[in-house]
Amino acid sequence: MGELLDLATSALVGAQGGEAVEAYAVHGVATSVAVYGGEVETLTSAETRGVGVRVVVDGRLGFASSSEVTPPGLERALAQARSNAGFGTPDVGNVLPEPAPWEPMPAILVPGLESVPAARKVELALELERATLAADPRVRAVQRATYGDGISRAAVASTTGVSAEYARSDVYAYVSALARAGEETQTGFGLTTGRSVAELDIAAAAAEGAARAARLLGARKPATTTVPVVFDPLVTAQFLGVLASMFSAEAVQKGRSLFAGRLGDQVADAGLSIVDDGRLLDGPAAAPVDDEGVPTRRTVLVEDGVLRRFLHDTETAARDGDGTTSTGNASRAGHTSTPGVGPSNLFLDGTAVPVADILAAADGGLYVQDVSGLHSGVNPVSGEFSVGVTGLWVRGGELAEPVREATVSSTIVEMLRAVAMLGEDRRFFPVGGSLAGATLLLGFMTVGGT
Amino acid sequence: MLDEADVTATLTAALTTGGDWAEIYAEQRDSTAIRIEDHRVEELTSGRDIGAGVRVVRGPQSAYAYTNVLSRDSLVAAAKAAAAGIAGAQHASVADLTRESPPTRHPIRLAPDDVDKATKVALTRRAEEAAWAQGAEVRQVLAAYADVAQRVFLANSNGHLSDTTRVRSRLVAQVVAARDGLVQTGFEGPGASRGFELFGEVTPESVGEKAAQQALRLLDSVPSPAGEMTVVLNAGGGGVLFHEACGHGLEADAIAKDTTVYAGRRGEQVGSELFTGVDDATLPNGWGSFDVDDEGASAQRTVLFDHGVLAGEMSDRISAYKLGLTASSGNGRRQSYASVPQPRMTNSLVLPGESGPAAVIADVAHGLYAEGLGGGEVNPATGDFVFGITEAYLISNGELTQRIRGANLIGNGPRAISLVDAVGTDFALKQGMCGKGGQWVPVAFGTPTLRIARLTIGGTG
Repeated sequence: MGELLDLATSALVGAQGGEAVEAYAVHGVATSVAVYGGEVETLTSAETRGVGVRVVVDGRLGFASSSEVTPPGLERALAQARSNAGFGTPDVGNVLPEPAPWEPMPAILVPGLESVPAARKVELALELERATLAADPRVRAVQRATYGDGISRAAVASTTGVSAEYARSDVYAYVSALARAGEETQTGFGLTTGRSVAELDIAAAAAEGAARAARLLGARKPATTTVPVVFDPLVTAQFLGVLASMFSAEAVQKGRSLFAGRLGDQVADAGLSIVDDGRLLDGPAAAPVDDEGVPTRRTVLVEDGVLRRFLHDTETAARDGDGTTSTGNASRAGHTSTPGVGPSNLFLDGTAVPVADILAAADGGLYVQDVSGLHSGVNPVSGEFSVGVTGLWVRGGELAEPVREATVSSTIVEMLRAVAMLGEDRRFFPVGGSLAGATLLLGFMTVGGT
Repeated sequence: MLDEADVTATLTAALTTGGDWAEIYAEQRDSTAIRIEDHRVEELTSGRDIGAGVRVVRGPQSAYAYTNVLSRDSLVAAAKAAAAGIAGAQHASVADLTRESPPTRHPIRLAPDDVDKATKVALTRRAEEAAWAQGAEVRQVLAAYADVAQRVFLANSNGHLSDTTRVRSRLVAQVVAARDGLVQTGFEGPGASRGFELFGEVTPESVGEKAAQQALRLLDSVPSPAGEMTVVLNAGGGGVLFHEACGHGLEADAIAKDTTVYAGRRGEQVGSELFTGVDDATLPNGWGSFDVDDEGASAQRTVLFDHGVLAGEMSDRISAYKLGLTASSGNGRRQSYASVPQPRMTNSLVLPGESGPAAVIADVAHGLYAEGLGGGEVNPATGDFVFGITEAYLISNGELTQRIRGANLIGNGPRAISLVDAVGTDFALKQGMCGKGGQWVPVAFGTPTLRIARLTIGGTG
């Protein structure tokens, strides 16, 4: 600890009177290994550094970033940020956070990753490929098996007094299995994540990828019908990703969320809550502070079906005024961007039941394994969507014949109100955020086909 | 950008563990981004990103390491880290470096760096104000300007050395319009491998107006019906279909792994005889164009479908090696120094045919006319695709009738191009960003008016 915070602090040296200056510094070390056909395809080792500088003067905001973390590079970034501020529009939201006490989360950095030899990482990827091929005779190939890890450090220092730094380790392995029968090919995704190599479950990821590919063989386009629909955990996580943007106060303030003006409304089934928690240790995005140094926390967005709160950063909180505070959800794509509002670890909460109970309740329904066109297919303002789906019929509490080229159309709110059962198989997917999936039973929906 | 002695020392260190060849890719990217939202300059950012990656390749395998520090010590350390990923005894050496200066096909007349920020802000404002001026139903306007000057230095142990700069500029407008609780969005986003001179031809007012007019037109739409019908894609609009449904499946990494429906079908009549498609990185000043790709090959034009016959694929060096080809097709691209090259599309073009655009519609008894397509997804293994249609009309007895929204096109790549039964004489280009393996690169799509005899429409109406 300390070196990166020192770098961030050193970027503030040229701050002038009347300016508030903040430096966000990152340092990352990462490795990834992709294997194919029993051999290493690509091994990448990376070390990156960078600083992003915000300057606020007279309510105007300017930003510049640099990966030249030398004194001249930092001076240039500060000078550019200051010059950019000159073109900004004064706004009540252009403020830097005030310092607040934050509690470190040492558990998110599991030591030892630095000393895992590259050969061991290669072996883990090869093991995943082998195990996937062995898991089901219909799996004829693996598109790619990947192992990856990283230690990422972030530090925030500002002339308003913010001073925070943390480090986190992440380890993951995933596989895309190819099952074949005759001319037909189906793909299946398997994933395992953790904070150390020891936490990975390679066998489970292999079995998952193989099963997901193999069970789709023979898929047919269904006739149009209205049946109960079950979402696979990965599908639930993908929909949660769409929802995440609607809970952003930024989207709400700009009228880009269907939840705008609906605090206090029943927007989901009364048994369902939606929670964001940056301090949840098993969430991939766990961190003690957000990307502008504000402490993270647990925020209940939807409580028993009622919309209670939105996600805020310092800017959106200042715009809302009336004592609104940041929820610790400032999020940056890296040192090259200004903070925006983003979820930390987002999940569905409620009474969770065994997955077998959900399948038993969904007799004759469709289990949706994959959706396509989700991001182009959902209108964020109206919540209308129409997506392509692949999945399996549910018969007698079991997954039965596979289905392809079907469509499901509804609206986000209708879908949330239709949630009937939440599975106890909650699991985080690092897909476009840190989103938890779980098996979900929805009421009757129209499945489009022939 | 890098000293030749540093380069030779780095490449030499990279080859010590048995690599067949090694490469350095160094980059300096200077960028400006302006975003005006609802009358406010929400963002004005500048960035300088520098870094270099060293790649060592042995047969189909590669190892890569990158750093932000361009000193000899740091580059050699990256070379050693990459070399550690390859196991063997040294057998290759570094050839004498020859500086290559390919012809500049994409001349820049007014470098973004020579234009002051105030002028760029004013340009963005003009787009924004033009959008607001389209009417009271316009509720939100976002106008964004971006320019980037990307200097790419490449050297490899085969003796290649090049140092080129790519300049790109883009202006985007996104407009939300509302009436009686119905909310619709419109988008316009022209871009090119050009400097600020782009906005002498493409006026910022036209960008704001087009986005606003699209949003306003959609207020007069009804939800799309679902079902199977004849689909006419307007000039430019069908490019996303070609990109998604054909292009990704013709990237050589997928072919080498036999994970695409097009693998092993070279020479077969896959598409209709009316259908000729190319990938063309040489398109003058195209959004997806360059002079040298990201592993040192000169830009090329590759015919993918020649009157429907599968004629080629897009490769980088490693996928070309896997397919037994002597050279790549010049499609090795990467997002930045922090990424390894992948075979990628550049400008995907369907060549014009012989039907008048009006005649293409006139023959349709019942169908859908798509004026713009949104983002899409494709499963290369099956060829199945889905993407959103931003704006469309129903066709009834050869006439455009009801304006519709919220439709999705659902289908299968080879089947869709086999069903192309009319190709227009017109042509238009669109620009976008294509993601693959976590890397985003600029790509353009260009098509004439295209008609597909049958496609599934997913709708909400």
